[in-house]
Amino acid sequence: MSGGQSAGHAFGEIERMPDDQTVLKLHAITKTFPGVKALDDVSLDFVRGEVHGLVGENGAGKSTLMKILSGVYQPDAGQVFLNGAPVSFRNPHEAQLAGISIIFQEFSLIRGFDVTDNVFLNREPTLGFGHMDKRTARERTQALLSEIGIELNISRKVEELTVVQQQVVEIVKALSVTASVLIMDEPSAALTDKELAKLFDIIRMLKSKGVTVIYISHMLEEIFQIADRVTVLKDGKVMGTRPAAELTRDDLVRMMVGRTIEDYFPDLGKEPGQAVLEVQGVSRAGKLSDVSLELHAGEILGIAGMVGSGRNLLARCILGLEPFDAGRVRIRGTARLCRSFREAMDAGFGYVTDDRKALGILGRMTITENLTIASLRDYLSAGFLRRRREDTDARGQVEKLRIRSTGITQAVETLSGGNQQKVLISRWLLRSPDILVISEPTRGIDVGAKAEIYRILRELAAAGKAILMISSELAEVIGMSDRIVVMRSGRVEGVIDQHEGKASEEQIMSLAVGHAWSFANRGAAS
Amino acid sequence: MRAAASLQSTRTPWRKRLSEPQRLVWLILAALLLACAIASPLFLQPENLSNVFLVQPVGLGLAALGQAFVVISGGIDLSIGSVISLLSSLAAGLYRSQPGLSPVIVALFLVALGAAAGSINGLIVVRLRVAPFMATLATMSLFQGAVLFYAPRTIGGIPKSYRFISDGQVGGVPMSIILFIIVMAACLYVLRMNRLGKHIYAVGSDPYVSQISGIPVRRVRFLSYLICGILVGIASAFMASRLGGGGPKVGVGYELDSITAVVIGGVSLAGGSGSLLGTFAGVLIIGVFYNIMNLLSVNAYLQIVLKGLVLIAAVSFYAKRKV
Repeated sequence: MSGGQSAGHAFGEIERMPDDQTVLKLHAITKTFPGVKALDDVSLDFVRGEVHGLVGENGAGKSTLMKILSGVYQPDAGQVFLNGAPVSFRNPHEAQLAGISIIFQEFSLIRGFDVTDNVFLNREPTLGFGHMDKRTARERTQALLSEIGIELNISRKVEELTVVQQQVVEIVKALSVTASVLIMDEPSAALTDKELAKLFDIIRMLKSKGVTVIYISHMLEEIFQIADRVTVLKDGKVMGTRPAAELTRDDLVRMMVGRTIEDYFPDLGKEPGQAVLEVQGVSRAGKLSDVSLELHAGEILGIAGMVGSGRNLLARCILGLEPFDAGRVRIRGTARLCRSFREAMDAGFGYVTDDRKALGILGRMTITENLTIASLRDYLSAGFLRRRREDTDARGQVEKLRIRSTGITQAVETLSGGNQQKVLISRWLLRSPDILVISEPTRGIDVGAKAEIYRILRELAAAGKAILMISSELAEVIGMSDRIVVMRSGRVEGVIDQHEGKASEEQIMSLAVGHAWSFANRGAAS
Repeated sequence: MRAAASLQSTRTPWRKRLSEPQRLVWLILAALLLACAIASPLFLQPENLSNVFLVQPVGLGLAALGQAFVVISGGIDLSIGSVISLLSSLAAGLYRSQPGLSPVIVALFLVALGAAAGSINGLIVVRLRVAPFMATLATMSLFQGAVLFYAPRTIGGIPKSYRFISDGQVGGVPMSIILFIIVMAACLYVLRMNRLGKHIYAVGSDPYVSQISGIPVRRVRFLSYLICGILVGIASAFMASRLGGGGPKVGVGYELDSITAVVIGGVSLAGGSGSLLGTFAGVLIIGVFYNIMNLLSVNAYLQIVLKGLVLIAAVSFYAKRKV
């Protein structure tokens, strides 16, 4: 246990301040994860006392960058400089002691601890031998709160606080050390407008005290409201840094998406059949509001939106995995409420989740076992599993979907991502569901396998299945969907029928980030 | 709560505070005492009360304090009972070979051995990364086997001088109570006033957050096992004195009774919450339960069945309140 450091002043002087006022400098940062180059030669400067907006699509590398800055990850190459000196941190605690604090999307607070204990977690003021000086801790916490002009009962437990109050605790925690850089990752995700205004007040106050705030958000409105400069990241690269005042929303959206759609997508479907799934006004407090959509036989309906827009929650509500407060779900014309996933399966749903590893494959089990797990009932006779029939069907699927393996007894965790995904799709095909819900169908899959997954999905649709495809990849949504539903903050922002001409990435993005974009199909939800 | 202008929250209402298991447990104890007083006239006899509150709870109380440290840090210790059996036997064996030993030396020896046993558990958990349940299940077998090997039968012959620890009095106050109060005070201090205690709660509550806050998670886990071992050592020293000997059956049931006490006392098995005072209330409840069962001459085996039912009832009662 490192000794009880003094908590220091809230806004300490920055040592060795360079002439150009650069507080934090990233030089040629590169970070690779298996199969993905999350950051590619990223160089950036952050200036003292600025609010620096950081935007980019899902997966553009924003979070990875912030995790490197705060010591959660270490870069493969490149160097971070703080006040001109090279630094590297082993964990966020070290980064915080050096002056870089981060407020994660998932708060790093101990829920059962009160405000004071959280602010001074692992930096408890002591009177020697670990004897805690609770009074000093309380007084300092109180002083910091009054400094930023917030009233908060410091002996309340964090779990009893609202989200914005928890954010305040994180901010105070950051300020209790000498914070020269404060990083906020999607701070507005769970805030009401009023709470957001309060947060902006706090940010402006910090700025006036010389703190550099790095503000990550996909809400472009917020970026324009609060940021002095904006950096756009895309596919792990910096697309540019501009003063916010010189940018228009359209500029920003273009910088965020600007890529060409590759043409490995199959053609769109023909005329869709009857509606098999009707979602009518599904709501859930604070998460989903009045979501309606229709899914037809033979159709691929894409759902686009940023992380946190409620896309996956909606799917989970329909599938009986999460409760909802209001609204109806009709399947093939009859109202049907699935209270469990079992019921959803019986109603004809199949579901491939976005988290293949945790919620999809049974890694150590064989291909056969993974394929038949959702339809074991069909392989029972007199209470015994009929292995041979399982194997026959498994071989059939492996052949049909071209699952590359050493044989049907291969453990699924040893397959490539693309082949794992094919196994998961096959798992549901064995049950021949009417409606396949698939989330992030090609996440972490190489281009060749992607094209195959696309072909499989399109063939399924052509065979009369209805497919609900949730995806963060705009190119994929545009390339695959007959119609696109764009969600934002738990709402359907627009429905685009692609038979009347393909959507543009800008068009979807501006709906997803809340930029008023007028086009004919707006509000044409069912 | 929604108004953002003022972030001030209202105080937690007393009703909600009372519904927290570690406070509620005292109400349950009070109700149980009332029921016992009605059920058996013998229960309120001074001799019985002093047995229930002054003598019986000390051994289990010490062991349960140790268990509480480990459980709050997110672990569990199944080896407590066999360590008590082993150490009490060693104490008796030691006196058999060297009758003249000073009680202080013997007691300190047992505490040191307890600390060693706790360290073994801790090292297996944090160094070998064995899940606490499995690690201490294994050491339970290890220590139980060791005691059976060393002393298959009960060994007596602990001298009167040593038995002062449990039976003596200082200024009219029983030693057992003095011992327990001192140990309890020290434990309360560590857990509530010392930063180590904060870290134990933090690690049990959220290891990931603790880690990114720079808390040495593995060291804290190890220390909680070490503290548990020390407390079990003290419990063993006490038990050897109370029984005047040691043997392979001395600690039987202590691992499960200590877990029961901790859980009834409101410590979450998931770690990170609960209190030592609640744990002590849990210990008293178990003591009162055994006592009233004996007073009512309930069959000993049936008692064990009933204990299981009470545990299910208690824990499901807490679980419901959480929602």
